[in-house]
Amino acid sequence: MRSGISVTTSPPDDSTPAVEASATASATASATASATAELAARMAELAGADSWSAEFGNAKVRVDRARWVEAVTAVRDGAGLAFFSFLSAIDWSNEVAVGEPLDETVEERYEILVRLSSGKTNDSVTLSTDLPKDDARLPTISGVFGGANWHEREAAEMFGIEFEGHPNLNKLYLTDEFEGHPLRKSYPLLSREVKPWPGMVDVEDMPSTENPEAEAVPSPQSPVPSEESDTGAAEGDES
Amino acid sequence: MSQPLDPMAAAHVSEVAVSVELQTPGMTINIGPQHPSTHGVLRLVAELDGERIVNVEPVIGYMHRGYEKLSEVRTYPQINALVNRIDWVSGFSNEIPFMVAVERLMEIEVPERAQYIRLILTELVRISNHLVFLSSYPLELGASTPLMHALREREHVLELIEGVTGGRFHPNFNRIGGVKPAAGGGSTQKKLAQDLPKGFLAETRAAMDRVFGICDDLDTLVMGNEIFHARTKGVAIVPPDLALEYGVSGPNLRGSGVAFDLRKHENYLPYDKFDFDVAVGENGDCFDRYYVRHEEVRQAARIVNQAIDDIPTGPLQAKVPRVIKVPKGETYVRAENPKGEMGYYVVSDGGRIPYRLKIRSASFSNLSILPWALKGLLVPDIIALLGSLDFVLGDVDR
Repeated sequence: MRSGISVTTSPPDDSTPAVEASATASATASATASATAELAARMAELAGADSWSAEFGNAKVRVDRARWVEAVTAVRDGAGLAFFSFLSAIDWSNEVAVGEPLDETVEERYEILVRLSSGKTNDSVTLSTDLPKDDARLPTISGVFGGANWHEREAAEMFGIEFEGHPNLNKLYLTDEFEGHPLRKSYPLLSREVKPWPGMVDVEDMPSTENPEAEAVPSPQSPVPSEESDTGAAEGDES
Repeated sequence: MSQPLDPMAAAHVSEVAVSVELQTPGMTINIGPQHPSTHGVLRLVAELDGERIVNVEPVIGYMHRGYEKLSEVRTYPQINALVNRIDWVSGFSNEIPFMVAVERLMEIEVPERAQYIRLILTELVRISNHLVFLSSYPLELGASTPLMHALREREHVLELIEGVTGGRFHPNFNRIGGVKPAAGGGSTQKKLAQDLPKGFLAETRAAMDRVFGICDDLDTLVMGNEIFHARTKGVAIVPPDLALEYGVSGPNLRGSGVAFDLRKHENYLPYDKFDFDVAVGENGDCFDRYYVRHEEVRQAARIVNQAIDDIPTGPLQAKVPRVIKVPKGETYVRAENPKGEMGYYVVSDGGRIPYRLKIRSASFSNLSILPWALKGLLVPDIIALLGSLDFVLGDVDR
C-alpha cells in the first residue's frame, strides 16, 4: 500500500520499486516519486548517510548522530539548500499517556527532524537522527543556521533534548517554573485526565442514511462494510 | 552688527556638551506584552543606548495553546477545526497544507472543482490578509486614512468567503478529499450546480474590480507618500542570505530580493494553470516588504479572475471512507500562505489520530529574525519593522 521507496543501503539499482509500489497512482505521481527518490539519494551521498527514504513525496535522509552538524552543513553547502524550514522531534515511545499507542513495537528513541529547502527550486529534504532516551544530547546547529536557535529552544523545552553548545537554551514558550516536557508521549494532557475527550463519540460510524455518497470505498456491495468491525465502536453502535 | 554664529561650530559645541553632560548608562526597557504595536501579546526586552537599540530579546509564548499536543488526541477531521485558528487573519489558508498532507498519505485524488474552490478561497483570504496589513501598517506609522478605505473593500471579500463557507474567519470548510458541500446543501445535496452560492462568480468579479481599485488608491495614498517613504525606506534591511538562513519566508523573503514563491514550485493546488507574477523587492527594507504585499494583492485578484473564468464542473468530494484512517507513513506538505511558508509534518501510524503533528508556521521563523534585524536601529524603527513583518501571535506561538 505504501507508495515511494525506502532503502537502508546505498542508492538503489533501479527505480522499479517506486513504480510497483504506487501502481494505483498516476504516471505523473510516480514520476514525482522517482524525482523525490533521486533527490533523497543525492542528499544521502552529500550527508554521508547510509539510509534514506522517499515516501509520500518526503525525501528523508537518516544521518548518524556523530555526523549531525557535518551532515547539515554539507547539505546546505553542497546542494544549496540554504532555507531553514524547521527543526523538531518525534518521541518514539511504546507507552503513551495521550493519544493512541503505536501498532508495532518501536525502538524507544527521540528522532530529531530538520527540514532544509532550496530558495530557488522545489528541492526540500528532511534530515533525521536518532537519540537514545537516556542520553538525549545533540550538538547545536544554530551556528550553521541562525534560524535553528529558536527551534532548538522549542525542542529542548518540549522534549527535554539538550542541544550542546547552544548560546541560550532557556525556555521559549513555557514559563521558567514549568516542570516537565509537554510533547513527550509520557506527559499527560491534564484536561483529558479530568474528562475523556467527548469528541471521540463523533467519529463512530453514523447510520448509513446520513451520508450516502461517502460510503466506505473497499466494499460498497456489502451492507456492513468489513472495516467497521475494527473501529472500536464502544459507545455508539448503530442499531 | 553682531557676528553671525557659525552653525557648524555651534553644532559641534552642543554635541560635545551633550556627550559630556548626558553620560547615561544603558537602559533596558520593556515593550509589551500588551502594547498595540506588537499585534497581540508579544513582549520585547530592549537594551538601549540612548535612542539606539543595542539588543532586543523577544519573549513569546503568551498565546501558546499547545496545538501539537492537542492534535495527538484528535482525529484528522477534528484537527482541521483546530488548525484554522493558528493564523486567525487567514484561517482558511491554514487548512490547505494539512488537508493536502492527509490526502497525500491516503492517496486521495481531489476533484478538480474542489481544488479550484480551494484555490479561489485561498487567494481571497490572501487578499483579505494583505488588505489588513496594507492598511494597518500605515496606521502604525501614523496614517489612519488607508485603514478606512482598505477595510471597506475587505468587507466585500469577507462576504464572499462567508457566502461560500458560512464563516468569515474560521471557515473549517475543507474536508479530507475535497471541500464541504454548499452551505445549506448538506451532504445529501445532489445538485452539483448549487455548490457555490448563486451569483458568486459575478459578485467575485465585482469585488475583484474593487480590489484593483483600492490597490490604485493605496498607490497614491501610501506608496507615494513622502512621510511613508521616510519611515520605511532603508529601514531594517534584511539581506537575502540571512533571510534564508533564518527561515524567513513569504512576502518577507521576497522583499529581500529572493524570487521564491511556493505557488510556483509546489503542486498543492493547481497554480500552474494560471498566469501570475511573483513580486520581488530590491533592498529588503520595510518599504520593499510593503511593496511586495501590495503587488501580491493585484496578482491574487488576477488569479481569482482567471479561476472563476474556467472553474470546471464536477464533484466536490472524492470518495473517502467514513472513518478516516491514515495509512502508516510520514510526509511534509508546505504551502505559500499569506504569512509565508506554512507546513505540516504528519506522522501517522495507521490510525484515526496522528502520532505526531509538527506545525511549521511562518510567523515563528519570520519573527526569529527580530533580534538580528533590530540591532543598531532607532526606537521608532521597532514599530516600523514589527509592522512590516506582518506576523500574528497565534501563528508564532501555535
